[in-house]
Amino acid sequence: MNLRLAMPVRIGLIMMIALFAGWITLLAAFYISTDGGRQAALPTPERLVALAKVFEQRPSDDRSLLIGALTARDFQVRLTEGKPDLTATPEFNPLDAATFEAITEQLAPRDVAILPQIIEGLPGSVFVSPINAVEFQIALRSGETLVVTTNSPIVVASIGLPVGFGAALVGTVIALVMLIVLHREFRPLSRLAAAVDAVDPMGEPADLPPIRARSPELRALIAAFARLQDRLGVLIKGRMALIGGLQHDVRTFATRLRLRVDKIADPAERERATADIQDMIHLLDDALLASRAGANELDEELIDFSALIRSEIADRREQGAPVELAMSPSADQATVLGDRLALRRVIANLIDNALTYGNSAQLDLVYAPDEIILTIDDDGPGIRVEQREMLLEPFTRLEASRARHTGGSGLGLAVASGLVQAHLGKLVISDSPTGGTRILIRLPVFRSGPSSAQYT
Amino acid sequence: MTEPKPVILIVDDDPDIRQLVAEFLSLEGLEVEVAENAAAMDVVLARIRPDLIVLDLMMPGEDGLSICRRLRASGGPAILMLTAKSDEIDRVVGLEMGADDYLVKPFGPRELLARIRAVLRRMTERANGPPSRRFSFDQFVIDLDARQIAAVDGAPLSLTSGEFDLLACFVQRPRRVLSRDQILDQLRGREADPFDRTVDMLTSRLRRKLAEINPESELISTVRNSGYLFTPIVKPVS
Repeated sequence: MNLRLAMPVRIGLIMMIALFAGWITLLAAFYISTDGGRQAALPTPERLVALAKVFEQRPSDDRSLLIGALTARDFQVRLTEGKPDLTATPEFNPLDAATFEAITEQLAPRDVAILPQIIEGLPGSVFVSPINAVEFQIALRSGETLVVTTNSPIVVASIGLPVGFGAALVGTVIALVMLIVLHREFRPLSRLAAAVDAVDPMGEPADLPPIRARSPELRALIAAFARLQDRLGVLIKGRMALIGGLQHDVRTFATRLRLRVDKIADPAERERATADIQDMIHLLDDALLASRAGANELDEELIDFSALIRSEIADRREQGAPVELAMSPSADQATVLGDRLALRRVIANLIDNALTYGNSAQLDLVYAPDEIILTIDDDGPGIRVEQREMLLEPFTRLEASRARHTGGSGLGLAVASGLVQAHLGKLVISDSPTGGTRILIRLPVFRSGPSSAQYT
Repeated sequence: MTEPKPVILIVDDDPDIRQLVAEFLSLEGLEVEVAENAAAMDVVLARIRPDLIVLDLMMPGEDGLSICRRLRASGGPAILMLTAKSDEIDRVVGLEMGADDYLVKPFGPRELLARIRAVLRRMTERANGPPSRRFSFDQFVIDLDARQIAAVDGAPLSLTSGEFDLLACFVQRPRRVLSRDQILDQLRGREADPFDRTVDMLTSRLRRKLAEINPESELISTVRNSGYLFTPIVKPVS
């Protein structure tokens, strides 16, 4: 989500910066090629000669009129007494040699001083000495000095560009570099996020891919994640070992109990005790399978799905339970790659649920081209739509009391759903045609080939 | 009595189970011996020759799996395996261990008796001597002892020693996904090197050779991130 947002923003920023850089470069090229800023500030040599001649030839009365007529905002003319200040050497010559030559030559033999007006106090003036005005002091034959000041509306740096161009260009480049540096700096973070996302907390602890980060904070974060993963791995291994040991010990005790139960004289009581032990073991199996499915440790074996269903049904029919099976003709060819015990427990759980809550179980097995679809319908009261989601949570039962007299541990549907999902399948609760519950299971069918779909 | 009583040896580390089972089987007219571990079993075996051993899979010291292989290698009596792990039954009855039958704990005494009788009956029907290890799958017949494989129509198939071992490994564990580690373990009996590509190379060579005889079928499937799966149904042949 964040990445998706950040990407357009980043692209937008880069485009903006590139646009600015291009724009500024084009303008700079324009100014340099036309010498725009400087040209505006310079009168042609002919104009200066004409001015000098006009002032020399006109009577002094006309001079103030002439000054008034010639002066404009960017072109000031005045007359002063005295000689041009030839000793004042400018810090640099704003004119190129050819222009300077042309002006002095045409005005000869008059003395000419050309003084650029340097603007003080502008940022960057130290380096670029911005100028926007040039003062020409021309010694007239009549003895006075004609001072002509031309200025351009644009402040121009010595390189011929308006002031601020350099700053904008440098700023743009810095922004681009920063963007790239920041991106490189944060890339390890998004890599880490991807690596951590890819980690299966229940699976085998796999090493995080090597992520190179420059900043120590990021390195510490990456190392912390690696350590967390190791600890999770140890925890899960320990839990699996615990469940394995528990399973063995509980079954040993159950075996003793089962053997002793046989000494109970009352056959009805004996049967009930045997059923209790069986329920207990099934509960243990379900818990074991649920944790193994979570830890990706289910078996992978080719299983004849219809045979598995038939054997579960046969067991229940023997006890007189009303279980029916309908099968599409090709359904008995379907093989599923999966864990035999897990699939058997799923089927057993669902049939027993149907018998317990819905009085009967009607199974229907259809072999679609790529999947096998099993529906289990019952005649019970059904499950309300809003309760269906909740039923897939572990240890939820629709009855408020957790009394066991209605049978089932409440682990059934959630475990069944989890196990079906671990086989890349899907379990859905819906309505049977008679208003009871319908459980629908879809499982992918195994296809033989050099390379088949990933399982688990 | 005209017929001698069958002798049953119960090997289980749990004293209560030993005692309860022994008590019940004696009442049912079987002669029962007990042992609490592999060493005690060997002592009993030196003295008598039981018809059937009821063997617990998980025991301290030498476990049932190892005992079973050892007894099978020397012919030995019938073996009924007891396992406390419901998820291990397929491995127990699998051809790899050679148990004659199995029972998952907890079991009822009557169930145990029925299984014992069934195995004993099969034993007497079967001619003495170790069972042959000839199997058929798809269009092939393989003899693990003679190390021979041929197509059903007689066309011979020449496999290298490594390829035969790999095929034997598959044939003994059909229709079950085997990881590269498991296969290497079987082939070499040592810790597998995770970067070892031997299995992949052997498998693709074996695939090609099997396809020469029967190009139609894909006998060995690759299951991504898991390993290999030998898909045909394997049946023992006499």
